[in-house]
Amino acid sequence: MSAKRKRPGPASDSLVTEHEKTVHEVIRSKKDMGASQWEMKREINVADNIITKCIKSLLSKNLIKEVKSIQSRGRKHYMSAEFEPSSEITGGAWYVEGSLDTEYINVLKEQCWRKIYGMKVATLEGIADALRRSNVSQIELSKQQVEEIVKALVLDNQVMEVKSTGTGEFASIPVGKVCYKCIGKRGYGGEPKLGALASIPCGVCPQISRCTPDGIISPNTCAYYQKWLDF
Amino acid sequence: MVPQYGIKCAVNLITTHFGDHVAKVCECLLRKGPLTLQATVRFTELTSSQVKNCLLVLIQHNCVQAFVLEQSVEHGDAAKTNTQYIALFDNIIHRWRFTKFLTIVSQNLDKQLIENKKETNFKSGKSKANSKSINQRLTLKQMSDRAKSVQNEGDDVILDAVQEAFIKLLNAHFIERCPASEPVLTNPTKQEVSARKRAAKSAKIFEEQETLEQRVMEAAAPSEALRFLLVAQAEPAADGGKDETNSSIVTPGEKRKYDSLESETEYGAADEQVVLWRANFEEFIRRLRHKACVENVKTRLDDGAVTVLKAMLEATRSTEKKVKTDNSVPLSLNSIYEEVIKSEEGRNITFDRVRAALIQLSCPPLVKAANESYSIDFKKIIELAQNEEVESIVLKRYGRDAYRMFRLLSNSGHLLETDKIADATFVEKKETPKILYKLWKDDYLQMEKLQVTGAKRLSQFLLWKVNKNILREHVLDEMFHAALNLVQRVAFELEQEKEMLNIPRDKLLIRQRKVRLLLESAHMKLDDAIMLFHDF
Repeated sequence: MSAKRKRPGPASDSLVTEHEKTVHEVIRSKKDMGASQWEMKREINVADNIITKCIKSLLSKNLIKEVKSIQSRGRKHYMSAEFEPSSEITGGAWYVEGSLDTEYINVLKEQCWRKIYGMKVATLEGIADALRRSNVSQIELSKQQVEEIVKALVLDNQVMEVKSTGTGEFASIPVGKVCYKCIGKRGYGGEPKLGALASIPCGVCPQISRCTPDGIISPNTCAYYQKWLDF
Repeated sequence: MVPQYGIKCAVNLITTHFGDHVAKVCECLLRKGPLTLQATVRFTELTSSQVKNCLLVLIQHNCVQAFVLEQSVEHGDAAKTNTQYIALFDNIIHRWRFTKFLTIVSQNLDKQLIENKKETNFKSGKSKANSKSINQRLTLKQMSDRAKSVQNEGDDVILDAVQEAFIKLLNAHFIERCPASEPVLTNPTKQEVSARKRAAKSAKIFEEQETLEQRVMEAAAPSEALRFLLVAQAEPAADGGKDETNSSIVTPGEKRKYDSLESETEYGAADEQVVLWRANFEEFIRRLRHKACVENVKTRLDDGAVTVLKAMLEATRSTEKKVKTDNSVPLSLNSIYEEVIKSEEGRNITFDRVRAALIQLSCPPLVKAANESYSIDFKKIIELAQNEEVESIVLKRYGRDAYRMFRLLSNSGHLLETDKIADATFVEKKETPKILYKLWKDDYLQMEKLQVTGAKRLSQFLLWKVNKNILREHVLDEMFHAALNLVQRVAFELEQEKEMLNIPRDKLLIRQRKVRLLLESAHMKLDDAIMLFHDF
């Protein structure tokens, strides 16, 4: 009678451990990229609930860890304990917990702008030195990171990239070297001059392609116009 | 190619100024291209007499140019000729710029001159009904007659004033001789076309195809020697009589003829030889272009740099052969300094300051230096101004993240992958495609899909790009659309006011004034941007 009933015994224990081993191997093979449960399922033909059990067990044994991945924010991502997540899944220096550290980036941008403004004309090395000396960032910024911040300021139209002529304000900079200057007469964060089309309702209207002289959307019926002319 | 909303704006202008029939003929020519009288009658479904009159009005107001197209001769046949009519889109749109043109004249010439000019060649703000004075072709005698009809002074005083004004305007190139009434265009032979193509290919230059309109205007235009030439003896005497001592001198210029239309206009019989004059739009657009360059530099650099730029423009303006000149004629530092100190703002500027200003103007490179000479890079200044206009739209319509992305793509000039854009602009990787997609949907970006077969699976990448030429046309069309909306709204507001009976009259007048001022000044500002993309 006892032979008919399956009892949990040494044979069943080694099966769970086998699965754990397989799952761990898959995760370890991904090195610093890690893997999600979905990716593991694709590689090993094991039921979902078993994979989930294995992951729980491996986590409790500190053989694997959970990491945030910017590529799959909705899904949990796992990595073998001996690896550090690569910048491809963390997003790099600018990401924290899988999200862009906007506050940190904005602080750095403003500080960078102020350094350039103070120097009138600045090279990347000059800006990096100035930032380092002022201890703006607790983490030491690499030259590449400083460059990324400065280029973002160029895209914001706060700063322009120029080449040194070696004369006048560029006197101390070798001819041809790339350097940066603050733009125009506005302070940090000032908006560029408003264009002609952008300063009227049509310029900012998301429906302009559907607006016609006699249509349902027309200048005569336009709510934006009404607001604009509402003195 | 004329943008669709550009055509609608033009038709709206003609309707307002000349009525529905003339607008119908004008629209027909704008949409279908050059047509003969018979074809125009067929398409507009108006009578031949109606179409003729409409064409006459349009020609008189420089909105249409007649020309004769000679068909190729083959196998000894006689050349076929037919008169066609081509609508001049630019001249039609200039009709809403008369206030700007008048301002240029007033800033450059004296006040008295302006009073005379207002009554003769240009539209006055008060004399809207006096449509005959708008943008017309007139002889000197006709200008004098009109001045006499509106001013209460003796004939001689008026005539002297008109003559003086006329000469000043001519010397400043604000007026010019009218083009030929029906220039003849021959189609180039097959050999000529192939020879031209071979030459362009071997020179490795891109030869922009001259449009038919450009060919017609070139053929119609008087020679440079005659264009601003006033041969005093040949003009009919201002008092209306003929100058008998010189009646044998043939007026060097145009013989007014409407043979193909059999006109019975007030301009006399077909044989009368008179010189007709009209506003020289090219000069006005050139001045407005220079003004736009100065305004753009003002936002970037200090007063010294602006004064130097203005001086360079003044010194080189008369040497410009066409409006869309890429660079000004090179000037030496000494020449620039001499010009600077002539002006009121530049009187006290030192030589070193001028030199320093030129260095300022080289960063960004708005002025180029070569062999100790300096020339203004018009193309660069206009391009920067156009970029700013488009970027402003992107910023306001789509937000700051989109603005950075757009600038990245616009500056790079080639395709960039989504993640690269996200990294460079500090936008979340998940948010980036949504923003790019919005810009793409509204035709501000181009998109390409790239499929890469990896080790185990197929990956798809999206690549994005700004195509400046296509985008420029798209933005220009949006501007014309917005301009038409402004005009339409002005008309709508006027209609609405008639129904606002419950509002006190004085409040209504105040509101009316504010609304019109806002809409009309917005229209004129938008028109500056239209010129930036279309005329400059």
